[in-house]
Amino acid sequence: MAGNQLFFEDASVGTVVTPLVKHPTNAQLFRFSAVTWNSHLIHYDKVYAQSEGYPDVLVQSHLHGCFLLQAVMDWAGQRSRVLGFRWQNRGIAIPGDVLTCSGKVVKAEAGVVECELEERNQKGEVCAPGWARVELPRR
Amino acid sequence: MSVSIPAIYEKIKQRIGKTERIKLGTIRERDFQRFAVAAGNPNPLFFDEAAAKAAGYSSIMAPPLFLSSVMGWEAGPPQEALRSDGTAGQEVAALPVEGLRLMGGGQDLEFHHPATDGMEVTMELGPEGVELKEGRSGQFLVIRLTRRYRDQNERLLVTCRESFIAR
Repeated sequence: MAGNQLFFEDASVGTVVTPLVKHPTNAQLFRFSAVTWNSHLIHYDKVYAQSEGYPDVLVQSHLHGCFLLQAVMDWAGQRSRVLGFRWQNRGIAIPGDVLTCSGKVVKAEAGVVECELEERNQKGEVCAPGWARVELPRR
Repeated sequence: MSVSIPAIYEKIKQRIGKTERIKLGTIRERDFQRFAVAAGNPNPLFFDEAAAKAAGYSSIMAPPLFLSSVMGWEAGPPQEALRSDGTAGQEVAALPVEGLRLMGGGQDLEFHHPATDGMEVTMELGPEGVELKEGRSGQFLVIRLTRRYRDQNERLLVTCRESFIAR
């Protein structure tokens, strides 16, 4: 949870973004589709998803983004400001998968860190690489 | 459905640089909190006024990905008007891509100012680029779309760049 505050003085190239583990379920996918008004069958109709060649319904593109950004915000703390963020959907994820979001600082300059991020499933496959630029408070 | 990908490519090319403004309506804390709950993110910045103020914000804020994740802001089409894959087509309303299958590949975002309860948000969107490509299973398009979200005072909240593959 977003309890601890990270300060710029404590971050340098190589500092690890605390891993966040997520367990997507059918109920989560349903609620995420509902709140984003996303009616794509691929997120709640297993028969349809299988007709497209997938083993089950798929975790939404934006939910992968939410998981990665949650990892960054929880790690950086509430007084930090995420200035920029991007992610790409590279591999699929389905309910029952265990998704671990992690990363490391690749640049730290003038109170701002840049982090490379990745979300991997329980087999170690990358589902979504990402990147974030975060302004950290100073002590 | 028979569609001409080169014809759609030409149509989108003519729209590059042109933007459309769409009023999304009033942002409500219940909606963005449901988004946070659905994503499994209990960050106090989205729920707890005192925590948000202690962190330097004027009030609780929407999760940063809320605006760019919501696919439709209106009531939407009736069920019989949905496409065969269940989509309503709102995500690329400004583009003439009817008949093509679209795949979003992720987003590239800049966060300028948090969205908060009561804001009247407008989205400005338009294509920034389109490429016609030849793949193993035929021609496809890569469309680069930019969305800019602003509040009622024209203050920029989020810039979102997204690439879609259309085939």
